[in-house]
Amino acid sequence: MVIVKRKELTLAEKLYIPEVLRGLSITFRKMFEPAVTRQYPEEPLVKTDVTRGQPRLVVNEDNAIACVSCGLCEAACPAYAITIDGGETDRAIEREPKRFDIDMLRCILCGFCEEACPKDAIFMSDELELADYSREALIYDIDKLKRPKRALQDRIDYVNRINDRWQTPSST
Amino acid sequence: MIAWQDILISLVKIIIIFGSLIQVGALMTLAERKFSAWMQYRIGPNRVGPWGLLQPLADGVKFIFKESLMPEGANRMLFRWAPLLAALPAFLTIAAIPFSNDIVIGGHNFGRLAIAELDIGVLYILSIAGLSVYGVILGGWASNSKFSLMGGLRASAQMISYELTLILTILAVVALSGTLNLGEISDAQRTIGNWHIWSQPLGFMLFVVAMFAETNRHPFDFAECEAELVAGFHTEYSGMKFALFFLGEYSAMTVISCLATVLFLGGPSVPFWPAAPWFVGLGAFLAKTSIFLFLFIWVRWTLPRFRFDQLMSIGWKVMLPLALANLALTGVFVSMGWDLWAAIGRLF
Repeated sequence: MVIVKRKELTLAEKLYIPEVLRGLSITFRKMFEPAVTRQYPEEPLVKTDVTRGQPRLVVNEDNAIACVSCGLCEAACPAYAITIDGGETDRAIEREPKRFDIDMLRCILCGFCEEACPKDAIFMSDELELADYSREALIYDIDKLKRPKRALQDRIDYVNRINDRWQTPSST
Repeated sequence: MIAWQDILISLVKIIIIFGSLIQVGALMTLAERKFSAWMQYRIGPNRVGPWGLLQPLADGVKFIFKESLMPEGANRMLFRWAPLLAALPAFLTIAAIPFSNDIVIGGHNFGRLAIAELDIGVLYILSIAGLSVYGVILGGWASNSKFSLMGGLRASAQMISYELTLILTILAVVALSGTLNLGEISDAQRTIGNWHIWSQPLGFMLFVVAMFAETNRHPFDFAECEAELVAGFHTEYSGMKFALFFLGEYSAMTVISCLATVLFLGGPSVPFWPAAPWFVGLGAFLAKTSIFLFLFIWVRWTLPRFRFDQLMSIGWKVMLPLALANLALTGVFVSMGWDLWAAIGRLF
């Protein structure tokens, strides 16, 4: 059995008034302290390398997409947000996606696609804003997802640094 | 025979006072949000107009266009009438408040800035203010919802226990000034030394506490009780009916702040300037009233709500005996013709 022992109040506490005045003085002082509000649309969010925004596809320096449409991200996606149709290309890697759709309404920004990708082709960018007028407009196709590599460089470096921790000498 | 000038003067006064009351009620909703924001390191409404000053207008427009829902099984007539009953007493009681001394413009005396200078002003305000709880109770009962009913019940119990204290403290002031006329009560406090707050310190404190309970404000907002009763008596209300409840609450706050100013802070008397012109007096009155209005907001964002049994035990076991003792003591002093401060002076 639990016996809760109530705190014995002193006379000053029983009178309420001194304690009430103490509380009032605290709230009055706080009124003059600066606000911590971030005025969001005007003041942008603070973004760090750890920020896991919407997934984006890497476009290499030679203007070619890094994705080889292996479908691993599609398989890893827990929300079934990714749809890929593979196709052939004349480049050395021979394959590139003909269609790469991410349904941003289904995407839960978990980052599994980023982890699954063997070609460092998909990364979680720092883009967070997601609003549109129709559901169709929020199914992003390959053109909307493409980003030059340098735009994602901070995140790429961060992911590589984290992955290095688990890199064993035997793995390449 | 009433001259048409008198009617015109009265009409102008009514328009000024009533219009200001509604305005203050609307601005108080903004002030509430602004001050609460500042106390919590936030900014508060700042999107509509400069410093969010048009926010009350935007809220009003929103309320008008909101759908007004009525729960199934509600008493349709009482459900519609309750918001009106809650707001009306506040609008009526403002009539007896004298806001300034005699207004003199160009040698013309227009009387006090008051809708009605009643000889029974105190009695009138108390009797009408006592009706305000009907809106809360009927609104709670007519909603056919258990939360609303609980809120209404609590409001009625609280109102009965605290109105006694309120009346007894006011009675002590009335005994001191020997009149029920609010204008004469404020006239008796022309100099700062005569303010009733000095001769009635205990009465003033009891009045302030009872004032919070009377207007259902924190820490005594048992009619609403967001934490346990959803929203208390106005759980089922929406749209303009809900807005009317709010307008009533803020108007009641304004009126009781005015009453506290008249009874304890000398109404329009300016400290250390007894012969101040009427407009300075009016400014002093408004300043004193806004101190009380700020106190309402300040306390709301500081204190947690009492428990209901605590509320009852404070009301009946502490406030009421103290108010009775205060009244008895005042009665003795008045009937013997003693002056409190002179009596204290004699002790030393």
